[in-house]
Amino acid sequence: MVSGGNASSLPLVGGKPEPTIKELSSPGRRASNFPKLDVPEVKINHESLKKEKARLPEVSEHDLVMHYSRLAHRNFAVDLGFYPLGSCTMKYNPRFADSIASDSRFANMHPSMPEEFTQGCLKVMYEIGNYLCEITGMDYASFQPPAGASGELTGLLIIKKYLEINNLQNKTEIIVPDSAHGTNPASARMAGFTVVEVETDDRGMVNIDKLKEIVNDNTAGLMLTNPNTGGLFEEEILTISQIIHNAGGLLYYDGANLNAIVGTSRPGDMGFDIVHSNLHKTFATPHGGGGPGSGPVAVKEFLKEYLPGPIVENKDRKYNWYKPKNSIGRMHGYHGNFLVTLRALVYMKLLGKEGLDNLGAYAVLNARYLSSKVSKIIPLAYDEPCMHEFVTSVKDLKKSHKIKAYDVGKALLDKGFHSPTIYFPLIVPEALMFEPTETQSKETLDDLAESLKLIIADLQQEDIVLEDYPKNLPVGRPNELIPAKFLTVNWGDFELLEITE
Amino acid sequence: MFVPHSELDLKKMFDELSINSLDDLFTHIPDALLLENGLDLPESLSELESIDYFDDIASRNKSDLVCFAGGGHYDVYLPQTVKSLTMRPEFMTSYTPYQAEISQGILQVLFEFQSLVCDLTDMELANASLYDGATSIAEAISVAINKTKRDGVIISSGLNPNSKEVVNTLIDGNKFNLNYVELDNYLFPADYEFDELQAAFVVSYPHYEGSCQDLTELVTKAKEKGIVTICYVDPSMLGVLTTPGQMGFDIIVAEGQSLGSPLSFGGPTVGWFATKKEFARLVPGRLIGESRDKDGNKSYVMTLRAREQDIRREKASSNICTNQTLNAIGSAIHLSWLGPEGLYDMGYHSIQKANYMKKSLIKNGYVIPNDDSSLREFLLEVKTDASEVINKMGDKGFLAGIYYDDKHVLVAVTEKRKKTEIDDYILALQEVDNG
Ligand SMILES: Cc1ncc(COP(=O)(O)O)c(C=O)c1O
Repeated sequence: MVSGGNASSLPLVGGKPEPTIKELSSPGRRASNFPKLDVPEVKINHESLKKEKARLPEVSEHDLVMHYSRLAHRNFAVDLGFYPLGSCTMKYNPRFADSIASDSRFANMHPSMPEEFTQGCLKVMYEIGNYLCEITGMDYASFQPPAGASGELTGLLIIKKYLEINNLQNKTEIIVPDSAHGTNPASARMAGFTVVEVETDDRGMVNIDKLKEIVNDNTAGLMLTNPNTGGLFEEEILTISQIIHNAGGLLYYDGANLNAIVGTSRPGDMGFDIVHSNLHKTFATPHGGGGPGSGPVAVKEFLKEYLPGPIVENKDRKYNWYKPKNSIGRMHGYHGNFLVTLRALVYMKLLGKEGLDNLGAYAVLNARYLSSKVSKIIPLAYDEPCMHEFVTSVKDLKKSHKIKAYDVGKALLDKGFHSPTIYFPLIVPEALMFEPTETQSKETLDDLAESLKLIIADLQQEDIVLEDYPKNLPVGRPNELIPAKFLTVNWGDFELLEITE
Repeated sequence: MFVPHSELDLKKMFDELSINSLDDLFTHIPDALLLENGLDLPESLSELESIDYFDDIASRNKSDLVCFAGGGHYDVYLPQTVKSLTMRPEFMTSYTPYQAEISQGILQVLFEFQSLVCDLTDMELANASLYDGATSIAEAISVAINKTKRDGVIISSGLNPNSKEVVNTLIDGNKFNLNYVELDNYLFPADYEFDELQAAFVVSYPHYEGSCQDLTELVTKAKEKGIVTICYVDPSMLGVLTTPGQMGFDIIVAEGQSLGSPLSFGGPTVGWFATKKEFARLVPGRLIGESRDKDGNKSYVMTLRAREQDIRREKASSNICTNQTLNAIGSAIHLSWLGPEGLYDMGYHSIQKANYMKKSLIKNGYVIPNDDSSLREFLLEVKTDASEVINKMGDKGFLAGIYYDDKHVLVAVTEKRKKTEIDDYILALQEVDNG
């Protein structure tokens, strides 16, 4: 029955709640061990030294390992099942990269060493810079931004500095589509710009007429992903780019959706001046439960001198740090999330030209195939060919049966799948966004569509209590109001609440 | 390699979509934007070939030096237990715990991380991580500015120089007055007078140069003027140091590398951020809360989400989305492994060893300008040129420390350093630094 790629998985250990590590603590136990002090011990008096010991749990090593392993069991992961989380590119993370990233010759490098000592690390950044620039159609890259949002802020600060140096301080507006990810407007505000929203048209793309209305002398730039957050390729991108450039603005590419076009099309050729890439999406580095990522920024030649510095150069077969002349300054204490960057290079090396040329195509194929299946169950938000992801809406089901996107996501958990992204983009009511990635098999995609069909039928039944879903997991829906109202964010807070109530 | 599609699969999928080739997927993209011959990149390597490729790169690093460098990143002992557990695929290959029911593992570890950070620093509320120490300082300053609506920032000069650069990038100097206060004999001047225009007082504990002081009175004075007090603390020393909470600080931020992450050439590590509950709604990043499901089961869930960019957009407290969860998990597990005794040993041994090293250096004619006030990290005055000394010490097998200025090297001694390594360091130093 199961063939090829059944990714339905129920790996989670249910039953008893897991105590906290503090509850497991018992005085006098310890896991740690250190060598005996090998220097003559002397009395050290210093006003900052304290008498009492730190408040930390006291546990044996076995208790500690069991505790954190049991917690691991209570978590879904890419390694366990299908994670069709739109906009997050939850593809397979090659195990092989683990071995390179934990090689002590990389992992144990101190960040403050003379460049002669760190030629290997510098080479890693130089090499991946070349790959990334070729893939995105850019000229120079900085690997300081530790994630996509930091890359966005980097790009916007570059725009700001560029305008400043060219005496264009009147340009204070950044245009962001109403479908954009929340980090876009948040980053623009942090960089000191005013955010102006441009509407999405009925087809799901930037409304060109509205864009023309909005663009003016004060336009500093536009932030866009392509494909956009609806999973659609902005077919008028060359026109958009012309409109912005004619107004003296710059184009920023949010690389969250780069996976769709790797090997097919390049932001640099579309007219983008600055690009960030989420190496933790497109280039298969593990998401770590929410991070770390790596969000390098690449620019066209004319913006090189604005990059966060230093960047790596190669002169006389030696790698060296170069500080761009008009650099916006540092975005990270050291060299960004270097080991994540290294993993991405491992991935690129393994794929090579053959793999990268077709990367986007397979990602799109899977999404297009899944959308064909899913659209027979719930309607697509836009009737256009999708790229690497697609958005559906259950607004009709909400009207007829009070079934929300949230409920569909929760019911899907019971079937062993992670939920698609819900309520994003914000402009689609009751949105469910599916991104299968290229590493899932046809059978897995079929399996998801089949499960979706079953749960949609289930949820419409008369006697269903939607709030009961999910039913098969260690816990049901947590009450979200309690922590928000009472700030139960530290152990002991909740118990205190129970006592005072 | 990682794409499962066989010819047969392709045929079935193409049929479903009524297409004949992969190219047919892109007929809606303008021709001018389609790459004709694909990317100009090298051919793929097999895993076996990649081993050689990366072996060659790794061998170009001087990675076997005995490390006496610190500055926020310390060569402490990272137990295998922590490494193995943080590499569990359920932690490593999951996403942000938006779907709470299927993410209780990540949520509970992060809740424990937040709680451990609070216990260790004497704070009430910690977030689930920021990018690193440097960016955490900038985030804390933003919180202070938002809280006080003032535009002056007092920053101790005894801060990691790269962190200062990050603050200068992220806090707009045209709008806000960034005031760096010089240290006096390696300590923040005790008689410094604050005023009501200032939003934040930022100070490193210990100072970058390794000196450490009781900051209680300065904090009290700053708070009397309504200033938000921010402590950038070295968390792996909190087994022996008075906590920032005990000194009265409003916000603590930290570079958490030394608890749970390898040196990693500086990243990924983790930024810690903890504060008092009165600041809760200004806190950047994710927060995990404890709750109950409808059957009363203990459960955890992300909370105060209305601060975050995906909901608040341009009004969010920060733009951060992806954070450093896996490294925060590392911190939680490492702290649990250490326990009160282990964290004490870590701090106490390093102070004893640093003291031994300082006294030996002095005995051998070297000057340690901040001998009295420093603990595990200190400045070493060299006789020749500091960067040359560091280079030459590299040939002798030592990472001598961090270049501070032409005359000084910043030296850190962790609990990992052996007496023999310290003795050999000093012998090597005398050979390479004879001015
Ligand atoms: C469209 C889009 N833009 C930006 C981001 C932010 O990237 P990061 O989480 O790496 O900061 C995301 C991440 O989810 C995204 O989906």
